[in-house]
Amino acid sequence: MKLLAFCFGLFAVVRAHDEEFREHLHLRHLDDGRVSALFSFTTLLKDTAPRSPLSIGEDDIPQHYTLFPLALGQVLREHAVTEVHLTLNAGKWDYTRWGYPEDPAVATGAELWAWMGESPSISIDERWKGLRNSLAGLFCASLGSLDEMRTTSPMYSFRPEGSLPLFNQTHKLRHALLPSEHVCTENLTPFVKLLPCKTSTGIASLLNPHRLFDADWHGMGVHVKWDPKTGISVQLNFQTVLDPVRHSSRGQRVDFSLKTLFDREIPKACPVAADSVIDVFMAEGEYNIVAPGPSIMEGELAKFIVPELPMPLDIAVRWPGEASNLFMNVLQYSNHAPASKQNSHPTNIEVLRTLTGATQSYGKLHVEVKNNLDSDVDVIYVETMPWLVQFYIHTLKLSVDGKERQDLLKHFSYKPSEAHGRPMLFEGVLTVPAKSTVRLTLDVLKSFLRYTEHQPDAQRGWDLPPAVFIPITNNNSSEGRILRRLYTPAVLVDLATPDFSMPYNVIIMSSTLIALIFGSVFNLLTRKFVALPVEGPSESEPSTGTK
Amino acid sequence: MFKLVMWSLVHVLVAFLLTTTSFASPESEAEAFFQRNDAGGHTNNWAVLVCASRYWFNYRHMANALGMYRTVKRLGIPDSNIILMLADDVSCNARNKFPGAVFANSGHNGAERLDLYGENIEVDYRGYEVTVENFIRLLTGRVDPSVPPSKRLLTDSSSNVFIYMTGHGGNEFLKFQDNEEISAFDVADALEQMWQKNRYNEVFFMIDTCQANTMYSKIYSPNVLATGSSELSENSYSYENDNDIGVSVIDSFTHHVLQFMEGINKTSHASMQDLFHTYTFESIRSHAGVRSDLFRRPLDKTKITDFFGGVAQAGTVPPVSEDEEIEATNITDLEGSASSGAGSYGAVLEDFASSEHAFGAWSPSRAWGAVAVLVVGCGVVFSLSCQI
Repeated sequence: MKLLAFCFGLFAVVRAHDEEFREHLHLRHLDDGRVSALFSFTTLLKDTAPRSPLSIGEDDIPQHYTLFPLALGQVLREHAVTEVHLTLNAGKWDYTRWGYPEDPAVATGAELWAWMGESPSISIDERWKGLRNSLAGLFCASLGSLDEMRTTSPMYSFRPEGSLPLFNQTHKLRHALLPSEHVCTENLTPFVKLLPCKTSTGIASLLNPHRLFDADWHGMGVHVKWDPKTGISVQLNFQTVLDPVRHSSRGQRVDFSLKTLFDREIPKACPVAADSVIDVFMAEGEYNIVAPGPSIMEGELAKFIVPELPMPLDIAVRWPGEASNLFMNVLQYSNHAPASKQNSHPTNIEVLRTLTGATQSYGKLHVEVKNNLDSDVDVIYVETMPWLVQFYIHTLKLSVDGKERQDLLKHFSYKPSEAHGRPMLFEGVLTVPAKSTVRLTLDVLKSFLRYTEHQPDAQRGWDLPPAVFIPITNNNSSEGRILRRLYTPAVLVDLATPDFSMPYNVIIMSSTLIALIFGSVFNLLTRKFVALPVEGPSESEPSTGTK
Repeated sequence: MFKLVMWSLVHVLVAFLLTTTSFASPESEAEAFFQRNDAGGHTNNWAVLVCASRYWFNYRHMANALGMYRTVKRLGIPDSNIILMLADDVSCNARNKFPGAVFANSGHNGAERLDLYGENIEVDYRGYEVTVENFIRLLTGRVDPSVPPSKRLLTDSSSNVFIYMTGHGGNEFLKFQDNEEISAFDVADALEQMWQKNRYNEVFFMIDTCQANTMYSKIYSPNVLATGSSELSENSYSYENDNDIGVSVIDSFTHHVLQFMEGINKTSHASMQDLFHTYTFESIRSHAGVRSDLFRRPLDKTKITDFFGGVAQAGTVPPVSEDEEIEATNITDLEGSASSGAGSYGAVLEDFASSEHAFGAWSPSRAWGAVAVLVVGCGVVFSLSCQI
């Protein structure tokens, strides 16, 4: 009886959770012969809510996880984070060739944003600092430098993708970008350690760093959301665009398989995965999916249910004979693409951003937004610029086909940057007319940095974070599709760099001059010449050797 | 009266001797165990591996640090006890013909290149975070409260720390990221702070730069063994170039040390003296030096694995009646990757049966016996004195 009561008490104190793990690999053949792959690992912690920020400072209830990653869970509970998104990407996502990515967060470098509820005991900025340092330690990334120089609090963009629990405290957003961050195997190692099956079984066994980091674009993402109906979900994504033509052994062919893309096969299915699915999206055209055959065909999607297929699993897609041999370069390939494809645009909105200016004090920012749809589209344009580059908002000019159209920017919110402090935040709603291109130009001022503020490789320049374009669903449009956010590439700006050897030169020069001047004057004033009797030649002096 | 005082004093002395000499305290037992066979008294191993150079043409410095990383991992120090600082990313650099891989040997004559980066690597300080300030804060432990545990040197007074530094250097300085310098005095003061704060048991300081021996000349803290690659006004040279990678891939001194370490495994009894005896001008192309005046143990008794490996002192104990049997356990590697020794400590098992100082049932009864003697003695003394 006592034992039963004790066990009951123990159970009440320790919370065991119901958890579910799903893994998914989505392969898509792209128009220019490349293959886009998205690995998606989702762990769902059922019927739990994020920790209430009011309880920070007290001891937390011990959490017992079996599949949910403990290291990440502890970080989330330590700082009472409701929603967090971290992505580490490298390369430039080419929207014109590859269309929309499955995971829209394709900002170059590191992007971290989090929604946290306010707490009376500790400020949001303190928790933001703790969160980014904990994640920096967990993922071996230098996220600690996402300090006040790079953190903003956008008001209209980056809305929560999940739900925010009502803690009777308002939630605040913190967003930061670090475009100069490198991504390499040391970021993949802890990522893989958060998965229940690691890289020994299941779809994660395809994560070969030697192939993933050789890709034209690669990015990894961690997305934590809360849904009141299901619970807390952690989605670990690895997105990449691989080029099978480069690695093809039989000449330049667009055929691909898991073995040619990742140099790996799946040895065994992950035993704890509730779902383990590989999708291959094939657009029109003749192709062959080589054995094993797909489990289900849903239109253009070939679905492979991994546990049901023979192991080791290798899925290959081959084009018959001529079609794949004709791949010589992108242009030639697109000439052979079906006519309907050549006129279609992979994305509805295309964006372009450049920074021009030949001097090291002034420049001009050029932004172009092209609308391929038949109706007007409203786009939120978000620009977070570190204080190094300052915008002159009054010089903002909008034009369509050469005609000035200042009315296209309806509302905007602008928070100027502080020198040596927070970045500038500009959020504006741009209306882009149907089938036209809006050009936006803005004068910028490049700062003159203090000697100690330069980076160690100062002559390379500073990476400026990408601009984000979030199309708002236009209720009047006939298409009514949900349009996903777009990122421009990062821009490199060259700021005036001093000659770093100058302090040393000045010190040496002035010290030498002072020593010479003082020495000479002192000698002139105080030296007396006195005649000395000299004796006959005696023992020779020892020669002074070099020390 | 005098007789009474004498008698009580004798009593106290007897009780005192009974408590202290008939058996040793647990602390001294433990200390004696860890210092068996001149082991030096360390219980855990840490490694701080710093590559202080940036840019692609300093590939060899990254390869130096990664070669050491691979060696210490192979010999048993887990990732949690290794602080790896790489000032630049060469593995996933756009210029790297072999993405995700860093090699320390060239592919001359069809030789197989050994990938030092692998698939299981954790770099704690990367890129712009590798600064003199961060290095000194790491060593002294004076880090911001927000710094995560994986970026801290969580050593204690029985930790052996292996500090390896490589980059471009000169007379009593080492360049960090082509931007700032750390001087030999800074290193010496940081080690002294570590000593004052009981943050190490012994330190092995290895440095591979030009004029490296000058960097350890200013150290003044005890229990520090140091070695460097070249003398004052002498350059250290790289070992070989690789035509596919396009730059030099390893430095001579580090290459020499790594070649020696290839013959060492976790159970090796090779000593530091064996390593230092292999230093020749012909193989290293500079005069490598050793500084052992601050080190209290003889070098021929100091094992290589005392610094490079995570080899633990372990012993078997006869089973105790009231407790469960004590078993020696090995932490298994969850990832299953055979190349890294992450997570497993090698154990050197020794026979404890011949020891006189057996832990066990006698010490509590002896302690209580001494207390009883004291109490009785004091009681008698007081009762007698009250009667007077």
